[in-house]
Parts: sequence; structure tokens; C-alpha cells
Amino acid sequence: MDSNRTALPFREFSHRISLVFMLTLAAALLLLGRAETYVFDQARQVVTDLAAPLLEVASRPVAAARRIIERTDEYAYVFDENERLRAENARLLAWKEMALNLEARVARYEALLNVQLDPSINYVSGRAVSDAGGPFVDTVLVNVGREQGAKSGLAVVDTDGLVGRIVSTGPKASRVLLLTDLNSRVPVVIEPAHYKAVLAGDNTEWPKLEYLTNVSAVSPGDRVVTSGDGGLIPSGLPVGLVIQTNDGNLRVQTFSDRGRLDFVRVLQYEFPWQVERQDPPDVLKGPPASSSGSAASGSAAVAPGGAE
Amino acid sequence: MVRLEPYSPTPASRAGRIFTIVAPFVMGLVCVLLSFVPFGRIVGSSLTPAFVLMAIYYWAIVRPEMFPPIAVFTVGLIFDLLSGGIIGLWAFVYVVTYAVVISQRLLLVNAPFTVFWFGFLVVAAFTGVLAWAVVSIFYGTLVPPSTLVRHMVLTVAVFPIFVMIFGRIQTRVLPGS
Repeated sequence: MDSNRTALPFREFSHRISLVFMLTLAAALLLLGRAETYVFDQARQVVTDLAAPLLEVASRPVAAARRIIERTDEYAYVFDENERLRAENARLLAWKEMALNLEARVARYEALLNVQLDPSINYVSGRAVSDAGGPFVDTVLVNVGREQGAKSGLAVVDTDGLVGRIVSTGPKASRVLLLTDLNSRVPVVIEPAHYKAVLAGDNTEWPKLEYLTNVSAVSPGDRVVTSGDGGLIPSGLPVGLVIQTNDGNLRVQTFSDRGRLDFVRVLQYEFPWQVERQDPPDVLKGPPASSSGSAASGSAAVAPGGAE
Repeated sequence: MVRLEPYSPTPASRAGRIFTIVAPFVMGLVCVLLSFVPFGRIVGSSLTPAFVLMAIYYWAIVRPEMFPPIAVFTVGLIFDLLSGGIIGLWAFVYVVTYAVVISQRLLLVNAPFTVFWFGFLVVAAFTGVLAWAVVSIFYGTLVPPSTLVRHMVLTVAVFPIFVMIFGRIQTRVLPGS
């Protein structure tokens, strides 16, 4: 009897057994993946660190091709662009005057109130070397790892505004959770009404605004910036503009464009937990004998909690 | 009577044989990496096609013995680890898709290209719905499917290009084609 003819049914049988086994294993993995996160996080980091250099090399020609296309576009519209920039420059000069006046006034107020200024934030620059790679996750890899000072929770910005925050780091690369991801939640403030909300990604292009107390006070075109609540992301980072979708819901068009993401900055922000007690300036204390109670309450307001 | 010496392959032919066995799996891994290269940024988009699905469909029909279930599972798992999403999602979805494709293989193996392409359209739709259902159950909410639909439409649109590439590799590299 031909050995190939006897081997064929056996091979088919073993193929089916293997298929059933793999199906079971994959289903088990899907269930286990939720419980045993540490093991998978480690495995994920190893795979990411191995793939990051390859992706960095592969993304360079892509970036070069994009630059060529952008440059060609710029040449095609150079005249119109020049006209637009002239008009914008004229507008900005007027704004500059106003900004200088306001800056001087704010400086006077700060000196008067003895305001504790935010410390400057250091940053590390890097490149987004990968794409999300799937329709259900919005994360990118950046070539800034633990060795360069990246760590989980740090905010990532580009020239336009907030991009997302780091959710895991390896020695050479980190994963950034973008604002549009289903798991992304960022506390924000909507200006000028100054209403607080949480920017929640839902796997669409425009993240939602959740926990917004007064929807009627917010209108399309309002500016959205980070609120700094929670102490993870510094306050005041530009996020996007409020837009209204066809179904009437308010969403946010982010300033940073996922399709054009390239160079990014990882902000090494640390919330200033250790705040030294500061006494208010003499001008706020008032007469010592008659209003000692109000001076005490002023001190408590300037140094909340009285952390030493 | 002259006795023939038993045939022993040279190291080069052994290496060649190993390469032909692992070639489809290696192509699967290359497809995983390609999925994360930001090609869409060239035109200012973040969409990328599902390269892995194309590889699984093609090799499951053309050479299933060279792309066994364990290779599909491994490719899916590496994709999961690299994507940062739900662990086991694409491993599960791709193995199920592979099982479905294998069960319909005889219909598609010698079919004209249009039928082969239409088969891929059906498989892409099935994969998309399955993945969407798993993710929705996992998160306990109906995930907006718009990104998934665009992803799958792009995948089906560029499939002929990859059939051409895989076909070249099959005829030039793999023996017995």
C-alpha cells in the first residue's frame, strides 16, 4: 500500500486536532488576558522593544515620502500661502501688542499676590515610529524609552497640542495612548466658560465630552485645554475645539492630527506635591488687631493643606 | 547488484527546505510588522489595511500545509502584543477565520480571480463582524464600527496587489507550485 495514501487522512486529522486546540487556546487567552495582566504586560514590552527599531527604520522612508508630498503641495500653493501669511502676520502684530500689555499686567498681579508659579517642565523629543495597527486601538510607539526618561502617565504633545499619554515604557520605546482611544480619559477645561469635563475617546475621530455640568454654556468653536486635575497632565495644554456633530452631540476636534503624527515631546511633568507654606504679602493682611480672623483664612487659602 | 548509497541532503538544500517550510509563516510576521508601519501618513491618513488577514486567506487556500493553525495563532498573538489592544483578540479572530477559510477551501482553490476576491470580501466582512462583536462584549459597549468598516474596505481594495506579490513568491520561491 502507498504510504502517502495512508498518511493523508492522518495529516488531515492532525490538522483538525491542531485547529481545535488553537481555537481553544485562543479563547482561553482572550479570557485570561484580562486577569493575568502582569505576564502579558511584560510579554508586550519585550515584543515592543524588539519591534521598535525595525519600525523606526521602516517609518523613515514613509516620513521622507510624506515630506516630499508636503513640499510639492507647498510649491503649488506658495503664492496663496504667502498672501495668507501676510494677512495673518498683520493680525498677529495687533495681538502681540495686546499680549505684551496683558503679560505686564499679569506680572504685576502675580507680584502683588505673591503667586506660586508652576515650575518649568522638561521634555524629551522623539518620533512616533508606528501606527495603531488595528481598528480598535489608538496607540502609537515612540522611540523614547525609560533610558531617555519616559515613564507611564507622562503627557505627550506635538507642535499642535496634546497627543496622548504614555501607558507603558520599555528601555528604548514607549506606548502612547492617543486621545481617541476607547480607554483614554483626560480631564479638560472648556474655555472661555471654564467648565470642567472629561475628554473620553470612543474609537471615533472626535472624542466625547463627559461629565460636563452645563452643556448649554458650551458652544461649537470653544477651546478645550487640559485642566491638570489629578496631577498627571499639566494644566493649560491645548487639546482641541468643541464641534457639534450631526446628531447634536458636542465632541472635540483635536488639534493634533493622528494622520500626520511625527515628532513628539514627552513632558516630564511632576505634580508639585511638596508645597512650602507661604505667608500672604503684607498688603493682604490688613490691620493686625481688628481683622486677625480674615488673615488666618487668607493664609489657609494660599497654602491649602499646609504641606511642609 | 550495485547498492546505492543512502541519500543525504547537503546543508544548503536543508536550509532551502527549512526556508520553504517557514516562508509563509515569515511572510505572516512581515505582514504583522507592515501593519504597524505608518503608510497612511504619506497621504495624511491613519488607516492601514489588514495585511495579516490577506496573508492568512491567501496561504490557507493556496498552501494550508505551510501555514498551519499554530502559525496563524502565533501571528495573531504577536499582533495582539504589538498593538497594545485586547490580548488574544486577533489570535482568536484569525484562528476562527482560518477555520472558516479552510472549510471552504475547495470552492476557492481553483476559482477565477474575481471569485477569489469576492471570497475575500466575504471573509473580511466575517472577520470584521466577529472582531467587533468580541470587542463590544469585552468592553460592555457597542464600539462605533466606522473605523473598522473603513479598515476592511481598504483591505479588500488593496487585496489584488498582495495576491500578485504572494503569487510571485509562490511561483519563484516555493517548490511544487
